[in-house]
Amino acid sequence: MNKIMYLEFERCIGCRACQAACRECGDHDAKERNYVEYVDFTESRQTFPMLCMQCKDPACARVCPANAIQITEEGVVLSAMEEKCIGCRNCTFGCPFGIPKFDFEKNKMYKCDMCYDRTRDDIPPMCASVCPSEAIRFIDFDEMQQLRRRRTQMNLVEGKKPQEGNKWDYVPEFFGVYTDSQ
Amino acid sequence: MSQFLVKEGVKNQIRKGEKLVTTHCCYCGMQCGMHIRVNEKTNKVVGVEPRYDWVLTRGKMCPKGVTAYQTVDHPDRIKRPLIKKNGQFVESSWDEALDLIENKYKELQRNYGKDSLSVYGGVSMTNEKCYLVGKYARVALGTRYLDYNGRYCMSSAAGGFNKTLGMDRGSTLPWTELEHTDCFFMAGSNTAECHPTSIQWFWKAKDKGAKIIVADPRETATARVADVHLDLLPGTDSALANGIMHLLIKHDYVDNEYVQERCNNFGELKEMTAKFTPEYTSKITGISVEKIVKAAHIFGKSPRSVVMFARGAEQQTAGVDNVSLYTSMALLRGQIGKFASGVATFTGQGNGQGGREHGQKSDLLPGYRKLTDPKAVEYISGVWGIKPEEMPKPGVSAYEMFDLMKNKTIRGLHVICSNPVVSSPNINHVYEALRELDFLVVSDFFLSETAELADVVLPATTWAEDEGTTTNIEGRVIHIRKVVEPIGESKPDWEIMSLIAERMGKGKHFQYREPREIFNELRLASKGGKADYYGVTYEKIDEQDGVFWPAPTEDHPGSPSVFKEKFATEDGKANLAVCDWKGPAEVKSTEYPIWLTTGRVVFHYLSGNQTRRVGFLKEQCPEPFVEMHPELASQYQVINGEKVKLTTPRGDMIVPVKITKAIRKDVVFVPYHWGKELAVNQLTSPALDPISRMPEFKVCPVKLEKLAK
Repeated sequence: MNKIMYLEFERCIGCRACQAACRECGDHDAKERNYVEYVDFTESRQTFPMLCMQCKDPACARVCPANAIQITEEGVVLSAMEEKCIGCRNCTFGCPFGIPKFDFEKNKMYKCDMCYDRTRDDIPPMCASVCPSEAIRFIDFDEMQQLRRRRTQMNLVEGKKPQEGNKWDYVPEFFGVYTDSQ
Repeated sequence: MSQFLVKEGVKNQIRKGEKLVTTHCCYCGMQCGMHIRVNEKTNKVVGVEPRYDWVLTRGKMCPKGVTAYQTVDHPDRIKRPLIKKNGQFVESSWDEALDLIENKYKELQRNYGKDSLSVYGGVSMTNEKCYLVGKYARVALGTRYLDYNGRYCMSSAAGGFNKTLGMDRGSTLPWTELEHTDCFFMAGSNTAECHPTSIQWFWKAKDKGAKIIVADPRETATARVADVHLDLLPGTDSALANGIMHLLIKHDYVDNEYVQERCNNFGELKEMTAKFTPEYTSKITGISVEKIVKAAHIFGKSPRSVVMFARGAEQQTAGVDNVSLYTSMALLRGQIGKFASGVATFTGQGNGQGGREHGQKSDLLPGYRKLTDPKAVEYISGVWGIKPEEMPKPGVSAYEMFDLMKNKTIRGLHVICSNPVVSSPNINHVYEALRELDFLVVSDFFLSETAELADVVLPATTWAEDEGTTTNIEGRVIHIRKVVEPIGESKPDWEIMSLIAERMGKGKHFQYREPREIFNELRLASKGGKADYYGVTYEKIDEQDGVFWPAPTEDHPGSPSVFKEKFATEDGKANLAVCDWKGPAEVKSTEYPIWLTTGRVVFHYLSGNQTRRVGFLKEQCPEPFVEMHPELASQYQVINGEKVKLTTPRGDMIVPVKITKAIRKDVVFVPYHWGKELAVNQLTSPALDPISRMPEFKVCPVKLEKLAK
């Protein structure tokens, strides 16, 4: 697996198909692990999807006292291991993106695992598969690079360049999993 | 026959003990491709897998599509016929239900004539079923009173296309070309919510620099990213289109050669649009002059453009005018019949296209033939094996049927695949009309609000329990596969209609063992008509990713693009629309000072009878709301979430407020997917378009009241 989960927030139409699809993944126990929120509904209908950033050094795993959150060799940060999770919910507070959720019935944390049962076989995760607006994409490293360059190109075509105060608009918003070989 | 279609190199997840069956979604006109997961041991539908290689939607699905499979094995499914006894539904056998229907139908027709019975169809079902509804009404029951819910959905688009182009195919081009389009002009379409998977094509085009112009009273998710958002007042589309055409002519954006060669009425159109200066247009539509001018220049300069519209423009008393005028915009630019350009309507219902072509409409016969044309009657009578003089005459439109129920002209009704007490305008009147009936039969798989009123409810199957074809938003005929056997004692609608036909002594006309036989009859019935399906076969659909009609011969590959050389009018030329702005049927007053418009949310489909029962969708949007601008909310001293009362002369409802600046200050919006006291259609206007007989759902003045503490 050498793929990137690529998010383009402005493409999001707020349909929440990614959430519905998340429930359909084999290992997901019919519970969604991503979310879609309005930026500010009073102002506009703009929404954004959020999923696990699959951090290299994940805060959720760092703060887990039981060492229950494992990272696969590909770099996917998994849900807490059932036998290890002590239900302290540190991870849900530790994550800066609000991704880990807590199942009070099972007393166990669960989170986005990039549909590991699909992606380990090179099949795209459910959210990226169904996303009608391609706000969420599961693409090759090269394709991501191309998209990044095209963005620069479009900015040049439109004569835009970063100014003091809007630099963040030009910061790449991709994230994902890629092996060291890349 | 292989049930799982997949192209080379495409990977799908197939879990242990499961198989995939390739089909399409049951909801909107996009008809997204999907595979349904079936447990091989229990033979039950257990989930969905994206169909990455379906040419139009590429695995994409909206939340309705993702959860569609959950309706199949749903605990609310009706599994046996229900007969109402002393006000309570009692499960019965098919024989008992059919005996009752036979007796009642025969008794009503004996006492009050053949036309005392009526049929109300729908288009969220296969072509085979839609075709059979027409035959069932006209041959099995012999009644003239037949119409369908497409009257609320597609009839203005049909009327406008027939008038201007001579043929009603929802899209003149295949949508896979849309990524090459330079400009989209979308009117009255909240496509991001109503046809979410279409967005990929618009966004793809936009990535390449395409411009988007959206005309909508609300800043929808599409309008949000548009280059120009024309925030028009509901009911002013014809003024806007005339205004844009005025500027196209003024600034020399007209493709003169094309117009000269292929269009009529240019002189008259020029005369009519003369008065629609940007200032005059702005005064009527409420859009600023600058925006109108900017839109006209963008649209005029684009080498390849597509004009698209949906119910916002169509569900008005001027629906046909609006459609013809918007279509004329594309004609002036010489766009129709060319690559990546043309005109299209967004089909709301799954088979809104196919279902309106094959004789469910009060005045149409299969193949888009007219019931008033003696030759058409003769041909279809031949296919059906009846005498031409036995063919009933045209009836009345859907909403007008309820008037006839109220005055007892119609005494019996069979509703198939529809829920008119939620989806009709002015539903308090519709309730009264249905209560006047002597006998009401409803075929459905969930107990809809309409079914609750029935004397007999017949358990129909879901889309996954029967085979057939539908025709998608583009005019592409596609294949719906049977995934599992019908649950309980439920039966597909075609079988139900055939059983009743048998009881009415017309069984010999309904000898079908499987849907394919009905499709073959439909092919023959449509042969030579405008919507010619003769060359469409199940095999060809699977081989070439669907077949676009018209396909007049067996070796014809289908027609992805239409009107390349000539239009389907008598003289082969398109008729440019010459229509003035008329204004909606109702006007604002001091008592009713705000405009009300209605529409959909992404989580629900039509009357919500299916989607309101699906967990995820219900969680996301459990009840209707009224969307309003903070300035309006401030005037009425209401806050977000507070409940307010909306009133029109026809009814009232209490609904929570949702405040957003993404809507005009003088318009409120309520989604229509709920019934009874949650139905905004208690309020909507039943005024009809004079040609299409489509009600004006989208425009009526309303009174807003803060509730006393």
